[in-house]
Amino acid sequence: MTRLTGDAAALRIGVVGAGGIAHSHLAAWQRLGSRVRVFSSDGRASEVGGRYGATAAPDLAALLADSDVIDVCTPTYTHPDIVRAAAAAGRQVICEKPLARTHTDAAQMIEYCAAAGVQLWPGQVVRFFGEYATAHAAVRAGRIGTPAVLRLSRRGSAPGPEWFADETLSGGIMVDQMIHDFDYARWIAGDVATVYARVVPGPGRTVTAYAVLRHISGALSHLVGAWAGPDEVFRTSFSLAGSAGLLRHSSAATSAVTWAGVHDTRAGAVIPGGTARRSPFDDELAEFARAIAGGPAPRVTAADSLAALDIALAAVMSAAGGRAIAIEEVQR
Amino acid sequence: MTRALGDDPASSPADDTVATGGPARPPFQAAGPRPLRVGLASFAHVHAAGYAALLRDRPDVELRVADPDAGRATDAGVHPRGAELANRLGVQLVDSYAELFDWCSAAVVCAETAWHRGVVQQAAAAGVSVLCEKPLATSVADARAMLDACAEAGVILMTAYPVRLHPDFLALHEQVRAGRIGRVLSAQGTNNGRAPFTDRAWFADRVLAGGGALADHTVHLADLLGLLLDAPPTRVYAQTNRILQGQHPLVSGGDIETGGLVVIDYADGTVATIDCSWSAPASYPAWGGLTLSLQGERGAAGFDAFSERLELFDDSAGSPRWPDYGTNLNALLLEEFVEAVRTGRQGHPDGSAGLRTLALVEAAYRSAQTGAPQPVPSTD
Repeated sequence: MTRLTGDAAALRIGVVGAGGIAHSHLAAWQRLGSRVRVFSSDGRASEVGGRYGATAAPDLAALLADSDVIDVCTPTYTHPDIVRAAAAAGRQVICEKPLARTHTDAAQMIEYCAAAGVQLWPGQVVRFFGEYATAHAAVRAGRIGTPAVLRLSRRGSAPGPEWFADETLSGGIMVDQMIHDFDYARWIAGDVATVYARVVPGPGRTVTAYAVLRHISGALSHLVGAWAGPDEVFRTSFSLAGSAGLLRHSSAATSAVTWAGVHDTRAGAVIPGGTARRSPFDDELAEFARAIAGGPAPRVTAADSLAALDIALAAVMSAAGGRAIAIEEVQR
Repeated sequence: MTRALGDDPASSPADDTVATGGPARPPFQAAGPRPLRVGLASFAHVHAAGYAALLRDRPDVELRVADPDAGRATDAGVHPRGAELANRLGVQLVDSYAELFDWCSAAVVCAETAWHRGVVQQAAAAGVSVLCEKPLATSVADARAMLDACAEAGVILMTAYPVRLHPDFLALHEQVRAGRIGRVLSAQGTNNGRAPFTDRAWFADRVLAGGGALADHTVHLADLLGLLLDAPPTRVYAQTNRILQGQHPLVSGGDIETGGLVVIDYADGTVATIDCSWSAPASYPAWGGLTLSLQGERGAAGFDAFSERLELFDDSAGSPRWPDYGTNLNALLLEEFVEAVRTGRQGHPDGSAGLRTLALVEAAYRSAQTGAPQPVPSTD
């Protein structure tokens, strides 16, 4: 991965949070050559930041004062306040997905940033994974004809931090995890009209969720998300069937290195690929930094992330009510 | 001797307790060397020629075929049936179903689905046992009439769901029923393939076929789930579309769906999804496939009915192929049917398996039309 150059390289990055996803972002910023400071309310900023050449800020105000870009890597339920503070301070914003726990919060975050004249980019990192980006390009090039039936699957161990298990804080598996595939399905087949979903709790904190989307185009999407036991190897797959072809991928079948009989020392981790030479986080954050520095528009916008959140929220409503949900019911 | 589900101690209790009608007919010449007379009723189905070849090659079977509706097929010129196909296969053709059923003891019904009811009723009236292609009928009412006719006549009725006879499915079934993965919490199945109307045009005729991909490819997985799960389906949600093969004149000028997704709730809370789409393009390395994965309380299990395959890169073929070296499921199905007729026992899958799954498909169509989940009526 090449380092950032020019104005993008000069941006002072302020990361908020020192949990799982912050590690991925800090490592990426370090590879990109950016100057990074970290603030985290849990007091781990100095320790975690130190691993990636980043210095700690004593509080959010100090971080805001000393950054051009605020990169929000905190738990979902804290996003709105932090983004609002960043926008109020005139800082450019990158915010992890989901933007917020509710449609209203996410929509207001977009409005605040627009009103403050700052950019807001969402951490929908799946669009930056090589397999997903390459498949999207192939679909756009017409290789499968018109998308017809999409299958998207994502499995991993249930995330460790307690707040993920609290649906009022994280939104649950569909809002937190499947939002990646909701966003991807929409990227491939366009806006969604209706959502039907079922959530099946397993033993302990495990859960499997299924969703069927009908896109306005008429395309259908089938999604599976699983938060499984601590030894679950993270894996994803997709199958994109179109009027003139079929495109499939399985992470399990395409790993360059595989392990067996080895306990996963990253048990509880939900973020794959932290040490790969080509990290999707590098591509994602570089694209956002270049846009902030006046470069081309990134492949994903905050509006896209809000649309994915709406699909996830419709799925939550559907699973709770046992009926199909029109996407407008969420946006209302 | 190949294994068949009826011989297996792990076969579903549900199947054993479902009433299948009147007594089976007396054993057919069980001790004698005389071959069993089997009639193939119609070449309409894409599986018919395969059945004919398998039955032709069995030393314990004598085969004759009737295909009286061959001339009515809109694609008769492109995909020969009747005398031409009979000659090509080297099997004897008779003129009518009446003549066929007068001669045979057992019949494999491969007519267009809408004609199943009439043909099966005619066979039953002649005292002929039936293995009927799936789906059993184009309506639950027709299927019920078929079950009743066979019960009254005391003949066997089987539904052509061969996947449940797969030796590895039997093993999976036994393990799952024994609690190997705990209670099954959820399942997802795919039965994707090439669109069958490219081989037989009537598969794109809603009246003759009873529907498109949803009718064609939901039932195998619904049957397997019925065996694996304790509780009956109670609610179904389905979405369909017509994008796959959308440029094909039979699709653009017709009214069948080529893609579909189904979500089923079972009475005990289990959730299953079925992808019934005809999503294998012409360049796919095989006709398609069937997979099922199960999430249990204490583990997970997966099944790929056509996993036994080579990967062939043949420069003359253009695209890679998957030559299949696995069990011939249709041969297992015919073995079960012949064995059932010979011994006079009800073979499996039986007619009620066909009826149950058809009731699910009918409810799925109601859901696809209304956009809302629908109750699945019990057929017991």
